[in-house]
Amino acid sequence: MDIIIQTYQLKKTFKKEVVIKPLDFSLRKGEICALIGKNGAGKSTIFKMLSGQLFPTAGDIQLFGKSGKETAQAKKRMGFMIEAPEFFPDFTAAQNLEYFRIQRGIAEKERIYEVLQIVDLAKQKKKRFRDYSMGMKQRLGIALCLLSSPDCLVLDEPINGLDAEGIMEIRKLLLKLNEEKQISILVSSHILTELQLLATRFVFIKNGVIVDDLSKKTLDDKSKKQIRLKVDDAAKAARLLEQAYPDIQYKILPNHIITIQNYVEESGEINRLLIDSGVLVMEFRIEALNLEEYFLGLVEGVEK
Amino acid sequence: MINYMKSEHYRLLRKKGLYITSMICLLLIVAAVVVLYFSQQQEPNFPYATSMFLYSSVIGNTLLIMIVALLFNSTLTGKDTSLIKQSVSFGFSRNTVFWSKLILTLGYFLLLCVTGLLLTITLGETLMASKEHSVSNFLIAGSNMVPIVLSGFILIHVMKMLNVSEVYIIILFLFIYIFSGDLLYMLFDYTPSTLLNENLTSFMNQSAHFDYRLWVTGIVISVISLLIGTKRFAKQNIN
Repeated sequence: MDIIIQTYQLKKTFKKEVVIKPLDFSLRKGEICALIGKNGAGKSTIFKMLSGQLFPTAGDIQLFGKSGKETAQAKKRMGFMIEAPEFFPDFTAAQNLEYFRIQRGIAEKERIYEVLQIVDLAKQKKKRFRDYSMGMKQRLGIALCLLSSPDCLVLDEPINGLDAEGIMEIRKLLLKLNEEKQISILVSSHILTELQLLATRFVFIKNGVIVDDLSKKTLDDKSKKQIRLKVDDAAKAARLLEQAYPDIQYKILPNHIITIQNYVEESGEINRLLIDSGVLVMEFRIEALNLEEYFLGLVEGVEK
Repeated sequence: MINYMKSEHYRLLRKKGLYITSMICLLLIVAAVVVLYFSQQQEPNFPYATSMFLYSSVIGNTLLIMIVALLFNSTLTGKDTSLIKQSVSFGFSRNTVFWSKLILTLGYFLLLCVTGLLLTITLGETLMASKEHSVSNFLIAGSNMVPIVLSGFILIHVMKMLNVSEVYIIILFLFIYIFSGDLLYMLFDYTPSTLLNENLTSFMNQSAHFDYRLWVTGIVISVISLLIGTKRFAKQNIN
């Protein structure tokens, strides 16, 4: 499979603080990869290094197989939207896109109206950027990404500020671009449920390190049912569980919550074991894990 | 680079600041001439309604032209630098961005300077009492100012691109172009303020002549600014 983005031991330090630890990452053709992490995990820093806004402290980036100065040419096949989209506030949407159309040497002037139509801003094309709502600004940012008909999109928080309808539209648009034009997408968002509906791969990042990298299928497998229980003494409960089921897989979450990934069929026995051993079980349920919970478990939980 | 310059040209032509700053500058020249003209109409012995006085006001006010340069650069570049990230992420080098913005804003600034100069001469020669050779003297003294003004414009551009705050720009400016003459007179006399004062004196004595020292000083400041600016901007993170 073609590799669109590849990083080798990519590292970034600000002053003496290591923000991204040597990181190997790749985005393959046709993938929609979600980069997931808490604020400050390093997502935007990675995006900025890919776009050229920040220089890596060490390591290398390859875009479409090109590295070094040749990435400039490869970037013409990419659309970046990193953090809040910036435009000239006094220009209309059409004027802003015209500025970038000229800059990018795109001959067809109609392309501006095509992309405005795609993001549903055609009717507001004469409105000044400063009068746009947050959601409209985001959509104009996506329109700019699409202006040069890219093969890859790198979108940092593209649905930030959009209403439910807007979020759904952008999701449909990205899925359509991916399906019909095989556009690869690297995306981040704080709305994890939305990413779950969009992405085909999930990369979890914590303190500048990739802590997990799952395909959608693997995540779905991991999202199978689990036991979630809340007890008065999580440490004691964990000890009991380990004694009774040596290969049990569990996590201890904050507030004395324990999630058990296997032995779901033995839920009755587990419940009885804990109660009989004097552990107060305040909550006991069998649930399916979603991306948000998986993420929280990964970054906040204490894994066995 | 051509595409980048074309897009910057598109932007500059649509900036209100370009027209407002230019209009204010030209109106101030007209206002100065009108005040002098009507003062002479009111008071026939008014001694300052001469083209010499008008021209000396230009030659003696390099700082004012520098302030216009600062305003011009701020208006045309200013907050728009935040959009550089979009261009960089499309593969434009920082060098392309730096030079394109400099060439275009400098081009428009020089156009404004030439327009202002022509307006001053036209008004001076038609509405004021004029001496023989005053225009040629003015043009020679004015051409001596060019390298210093250009160096100021380049210095401003460099500091703007490096995100230096306006307070520091003004402090550095005052030091290089105003106080350097007094502070460094023991070391050498190639400071801008000393040379500009000499240029004004020559003009007032009707003995304006080409002064290579102004060109040497202007070129040295420009080259140093550009070397530091391009080197640092090429390594600058863009947030």
